[in-house]
Amino acid sequence: MAQDTKQNQIFAWFTARYPIVEFNQKHISGYYAPKNFNFWYYFGSFSLLVLLNQIITGIWLAMEYTPTADAAFSSVQHIMRDVRFGWLLRFMHTTGASAFFIVVYLHMYRALIYGSYQKPRELLWLIGMLIYLTLLLEAFTGYVLPWGQMSFWGAEVITSFASAIPIVGKYVMIWLRGDYNISGVTLHRFFSLHVIAVPLVLLGLVFVHLVALHYVGSNNPDGIDIKKKKNKKGHPLDGIPFHPYYTLKDLAGAGIFLIVFSCVLFFAPKMGGFFLESNNYLPANPLQTPEHIAPVWYMTPFYAILRAVPNKLLGLVAMATAIAFMFVLPWLDRSPVRSIRYKGMWSKIAITEFVICFISLGYLGVQPVSPLRSAMAQIFAIGYFLFFLLMPIYTSYEKTKSPPERVTG
Amino acid sequence: MRYLLLTILLLITQLTYAEEPSIALANAKVNLHDIKSIERGAKFFATNCMMCHTLVYLRYDTVAHDAGITYEKMPINVKAWPNGIKPPDMSNETNVRGPDWVYTFLHSFYLDSKRPTGFNNLLIPNTSMPSMLTPYQGQLVLAKDVKESIPIFGAKVQWFDVLEQQSTGIMSPDQFDATMRDVVNFLAYAADPYHEQQVHLGIWVIGFLLILCVLLYLLKKEYWKDIENDDEN
Amino acid sequence: MATKEKEEVDAARRCFLRRATTTVGGIGLAAASIPFISYWMPSKDTEAMGAPVTVDISTLQPTQQLTISWRGQPIWIIYRTEDMLAGLPRLTDQLRDPNSDEDQQPIYAKNIHRSIKPNIFVAVGVCTHLGCIPNYRPDIAGISPDWLGGFYCPCHGSRYDLAGRVYKGVPAPLNLKIPRHMYVSDKEIVIGKDQEGEEE
Repeated sequence: MAQDTKQNQIFAWFTARYPIVEFNQKHISGYYAPKNFNFWYYFGSFSLLVLLNQIITGIWLAMEYTPTADAAFSSVQHIMRDVRFGWLLRFMHTTGASAFFIVVYLHMYRALIYGSYQKPRELLWLIGMLIYLTLLLEAFTGYVLPWGQMSFWGAEVITSFASAIPIVGKYVMIWLRGDYNISGVTLHRFFSLHVIAVPLVLLGLVFVHLVALHYVGSNNPDGIDIKKKKNKKGHPLDGIPFHPYYTLKDLAGAGIFLIVFSCVLFFAPKMGGFFLESNNYLPANPLQTPEHIAPVWYMTPFYAILRAVPNKLLGLVAMATAIAFMFVLPWLDRSPVRSIRYKGMWSKIAITEFVICFISLGYLGVQPVSPLRSAMAQIFAIGYFLFFLLMPIYTSYEKTKSPPERVTG
Repeated sequence: MRYLLLTILLLITQLTYAEEPSIALANAKVNLHDIKSIERGAKFFATNCMMCHTLVYLRYDTVAHDAGITYEKMPINVKAWPNGIKPPDMSNETNVRGPDWVYTFLHSFYLDSKRPTGFNNLLIPNTSMPSMLTPYQGQLVLAKDVKESIPIFGAKVQWFDVLEQQSTGIMSPDQFDATMRDVVNFLAYAADPYHEQQVHLGIWVIGFLLILCVLLYLLKKEYWKDIENDDEN
Repeated sequence: MATKEKEEVDAARRCFLRRATTTVGGIGLAAASIPFISYWMPSKDTEAMGAPVTVDISTLQPTQQLTISWRGQPIWIIYRTEDMLAGLPRLTDQLRDPNSDEDQQPIYAKNIHRSIKPNIFVAVGVCTHLGCIPNYRPDIAGISPDWLGGFYCPCHGSRYDLAGRVYKGVPAPLNLKIPRHMYVSDKEIVIGKDQEGEEE
């Protein structure tokens, strides 16, 4: 007989009014995940951890930051030098921004290799893609806020994309900026977007992403459906309760992640100019363009594709198409198996080629333009597109292996 | 896959700074743990650089304050500069250009009668900055053209390859190098004054995390014994 | 059929590991919160703005009130004449805290005139009720027929004498606060600092 202690009484009062027990039974202790999750499966929970970091450090930074053209740069210096532990919170935020993209790209890679975008997870993939785009917008608006040279000129370049739209382009650009050129008006509205609007959208999408995942259940490295084989209790034979097994595993993984994160944070937060660019230590000067404008590393693959096309509008179209192809991935993949482990040789070659192209484009995007680099960017861009364009063909015709009945390691 | 990522990471270890310099950068050997060097550099800056260069973001910095660098003494409100060019603020200079660039710049002034200041600089051609350091370094002249001096394998030339000492200053070359190192150390401090605290805290944080990770790992392993033992479910 | 025997769950080990990890993790979280809490303390520039201020009283005339701002508060410096001081001992019965027993002043202002020099009154011009700024009313019989001069707060009617001591029967509970201060010369007062050190 359960003791009628004060604690139990309070618990009973609460649980009669809020479905916390049912939530736990369905989504935590009672959510059965495949038991063969490997290294690639850490990055979803790492993304949540980094999101939490960005929100908390962001709130704190917003207490001392001033979103006007006159004071923005100084306020960041003020945070770094005059506010106690201001430097630490700022570095946590900038390291977190780059960490977010590393973790998200690895999370997306996992989906790519294990076919986590295939039926019935197409919607999950689409929501993830929306999160990715929202994250790019969040990073872009955030980078403008310190109002350094790269902040200003990066905003100048990216908002000028709008002018490529036929007929209305020029007006859309002025509408976006709120002024005839990038100015304090733009900065102030980007501040509102970065601190309030986009985070709310991001949080909503992450919630919806988790709902979609739990509705269909998690995929696994073998790409097989664990719900097909259940035990007498109705639980998947190859499934284990998320709590305590994956809560503990993810915590241990998070510990290692925090060590790596701390190494960067305390010993190399600028990462040689990749995480915190040198030019951004100069206050924004509308009358002087830096020698070399490049977006931050996480946007450079698409920037390289844009620059590879010598026409302004077509370059934008190419860049947009490059992202659009990622959206329709579930419908390009005609393979009867999900996981790369059982797909044919062509899929394996294709994905290796895709990764090489993506990383090479990223590298080229950071470099200044040169004839050789432009040619290479064009080659890698074609390679990027071929991954998607040829997929319906090679996934239909290649010889695949039979996936196992039960999960392997 | 992981090896590919590692290779790429290693390739991108070249540091990226604001510009491509025309000559090779000498190694300043910055040491932010050397507090005495930073203090000496601060005093030198206060006496020789602060009549033109401000350090506005060091207004509340104690090291700067103790060396005599105060907001009141900086040329904040000067309206008319020669050629209308305001000398840049130095608070973040080593973050923008890199300490090696600043070190090399300070060594690279040479006599040039065609310039209004009478001097030119290898790293900023036709600079408006007068050569304040000539009394210390002595007068240098351009002995060879930079472009003509590039050896066969395309390595960049150092400043001392093309500049020749015409007359001596009050410091020997070694003394001048040491003093310039002090100045660059100070400027590197000025750009990141929290650096010592940052490294110190980092060691403690990572040490703590290592202990926590051991515990988390043991805890995970202990509970996962259930999975390994329970093959038939 | 499984040939491996199912091992017993070592509950004691699990309990120990759970507790150890929770404790160490808890310490970590507590330590991690320190920067976030410290961040809220005044920054270097705020501390500089709140540094002690020096006031020149060489041109202060008898009965004149000088108001300066320090840490966002009005600080009064008033030149009290002998007549103004003469009334102070007669008010004892009408005051809540005539001997300044409450901790509203530094030790050197714990006297009948609540100041270092009897003629120069230095006080924080904020009513101890709810924070309004009282009016300086040195005019005899100005507030009431037996008014000997002092301060009158218009918000809720609190009254103080010319040494900032609060009257009975008014909403304000305490005498006006006297800030830490010192004379660096006959004509210069530093507010916010005295021989013992600076105000926190």
